[in-house]
Amino acid sequence: MKRYMFSNYRPKNNYDEYFKDNLNSAREILTPLLSSLDNMGLEELNRNHSAAKKLLLRHGATFRLNDTGVKGTERILPFDPLPRIISKHDWITLEEGLKQRLEAIDLFLDDIYNSQNIINDGIIPRELIESSDGWRPQMLGFKPPLNKWCQISGLDLIRDGQGTWHVLEDNLRCPSGVAYFLENRLVMKNIFPNLFSGRIVKPIDEYPSFLLKTLQELAIWTDTPKIVLLTPGIFNSAYFEHSYLAQEMGIQLVQGHDLICNDEYVYLKTTSGLKRVDVIYRRIDDDFLDPINFRKDSYLGVSGLLDVMKAGHVAVANVPGTGIADDKMIYSFVPKMIKYFLDEEPIIKNVETYICYYEKDREYVLKNLPKLVVKSVSEAGGYGMLIGPQSTTTEINEFSDKIKNNPRNFIAQPTLELSTVPSLCNGELYPCHVDLRPYILRGKDSWVSPGGLTRVALKKGSLVVNSSQGGGCKDTWVVGN
Amino acid sequence: MLLSRVAESLYWINRYLERAENISRFVEVSEAMSLDCPPGSAEPWLPLIDASSDRETFDSRFPEKKQDDVINFLIRDRINPNSIISCIQLARENARQIRDVMTSEMWEQINILFWNLQEGESIWDLPRQEQLSEIRRGCQLFYGITDATLSKDLACQFSILGRLIERADKTSRILDVKYYLLLPSLDELGGVLDELQWIALLRSAGAYQMFRKAEQNSIQPNSVARFLLLDNNFPRSVRYCLDGISNTLKMINTFPSSDNPSKLECMRGLLKAKWSYIRIEDIINDGLHEAIDSLQIDLNKLHNLIEDKYFINKEFD
Repeated sequence: MKRYMFSNYRPKNNYDEYFKDNLNSAREILTPLLSSLDNMGLEELNRNHSAAKKLLLRHGATFRLNDTGVKGTERILPFDPLPRIISKHDWITLEEGLKQRLEAIDLFLDDIYNSQNIINDGIIPRELIESSDGWRPQMLGFKPPLNKWCQISGLDLIRDGQGTWHVLEDNLRCPSGVAYFLENRLVMKNIFPNLFSGRIVKPIDEYPSFLLKTLQELAIWTDTPKIVLLTPGIFNSAYFEHSYLAQEMGIQLVQGHDLICNDEYVYLKTTSGLKRVDVIYRRIDDDFLDPINFRKDSYLGVSGLLDVMKAGHVAVANVPGTGIADDKMIYSFVPKMIKYFLDEEPIIKNVETYICYYEKDREYVLKNLPKLVVKSVSEAGGYGMLIGPQSTTTEINEFSDKIKNNPRNFIAQPTLELSTVPSLCNGELYPCHVDLRPYILRGKDSWVSPGGLTRVALKKGSLVVNSSQGGGCKDTWVVGN
Repeated sequence: MLLSRVAESLYWINRYLERAENISRFVEVSEAMSLDCPPGSAEPWLPLIDASSDRETFDSRFPEKKQDDVINFLIRDRINPNSIISCIQLARENARQIRDVMTSEMWEQINILFWNLQEGESIWDLPRQEQLSEIRRGCQLFYGITDATLSKDLACQFSILGRLIERADKTSRILDVKYYLLLPSLDELGGVLDELQWIALLRSAGAYQMFRKAEQNSIQPNSVARFLLLDNNFPRSVRYCLDGISNTLKMINTFPSSDNPSKLECMRGLLKAKWSYIRIEDIINDGLHEAIDSLQIDLNKLHNLIEDKYFINKEFD
């Protein structure tokens, strides 16, 4: 069959999710989509792509970059119209794997802030825990409602050169992106309805309902909880998402100064006086949550919030302190946690990780920097990393010094040829690298979003998918075979 | 139940949009009118700046006081906080902060209005009259969407409150500045041009057609003033707005203390009574400008009392 739309498309040598090795070997699951795309043609695709951008702007799906500081610099997250497709068969395994991983992580958090058996049994050295940026000794002895710590998490998954799925990172504090995940589907349905023909794509619209249910379940003391979403405000890069989720759930979007703690309870300041709050979905980092108990210079949080939590009169999701488990070094211990707490083998594998803290690993890393990716364990958003194969000797030498000076702060992983999906770059189709961030909700039950946010490195040849580094996103479809 | 911060944002979104709408109306009418004036005769422009009390700022920045300066100052000047573009930006900034409270249709309208006014957008290629009517309709569409999609609860009431206070303020100001400009010429000449000027004043307040329906006689200064200040049915008249403000405040304050009314309650009642039981002859005799001046002062007091009671939460801080 002639591929009109893809006639100039050349898959790379890695795992292309549309084509096996050339244009004549499209993956079977893509058949209906490819035929709709060929009917459409590149010109119409480009035209509709502009319409999609306008729609996102009208919806206000914009973010402000953290590092520019220029007031009013707003942009949409670049949206790519070619959907990424995952088979239901793959998805069932991933869903099980994600639930398993989060179960183990929650047990780990409960253990580490209470009895610390995993340290006492010698599985993880105490020093690695206590030296982590995510460690919050204030939480020692704390028991959250339902004994769950991570109500909302978003894990980053990737596929390697063979198409095998791995967990790249656990995001357990305030993972963002879910609004784009929902918004992308809306845009696809509005602008590209024809692409859906011939198949059922697993719907994702129930995310806000499950999120609301998850939050409601945390208020074990009442059947009619007052729930709010706590945002740092409009200058936060994820503000669009905060307002979007609050609106979708019909809960109030509040800022720190809308709340006040008094007499072991937390209240909202309203036009008719103080009203009690039961559950806070916070989108503020631990550090800024409560200037009495965490960072003193925070203007974003609520003074005394941790004390109200400890009194059992408010539930905060996620619980402060979960960051210890998404430390990029602690990440490498998750397979051991799964074994230790659940006595199971991990369903989704980690990416092989070298811990520079250990001398043997460090020696290997320092010798092999040109072929490794080195990450600072305390930074996110694609910052503070070295991609060996794309770096100059000077950059490599600089990084080598950094590692020697502070080995605890670095891990290294082999450079993975992330899988690619065809994407529009300057009007033409190129194979662009992608990752996937599914969202996992855990209240009384666990729920995993079908698919997730596919982030795509829209700079040609780039491996970095973060929105702060020129990445974009795609709609993700879980479909039956 | 409504957050104090949210109530304040809703109030201001509506004040800003009402302000933007009024400015676009003023400029629209003045520009059309200037075409009817002999060159150099009437100066329809500067009173517009007076109407928003920005004369000092304007004079210091644009000493030549050219027509284009005025228009630019009122429409596209980002330094002037009362320009159309600044008002819409501020309204949108407030809207962003409370997106969870507005319906998404309301948000989209205000958001698209904002983006359409950015530099380089196609609206600026249109003839100016078209630009202004686009902006005016953009604001009106927002009121319509609010009316049709937002539940009639506190959020809606604070929106209406902001809109009506701004509207009463703007209608009275435009009357104030234009009335004094026009009055002497009417005594001296009474020609066609003056009739046109009065029509223009009515149009600036969006009141021309409804005035004609209400007053079949020739256009007299007193009847114009009566219509804009005291008409019971015209939705932009001061009396109509004060009536609405009073009703809205009563709806917001479900449990007023009747034996010892709050300062806000007192102000609400007094203002409403004052403008319900007054005749245009008495206003003119005692001085129209004085009456409007005292109205402005009262509206400012009312705003401050609303702010203290509902927006600031003084007792918690």
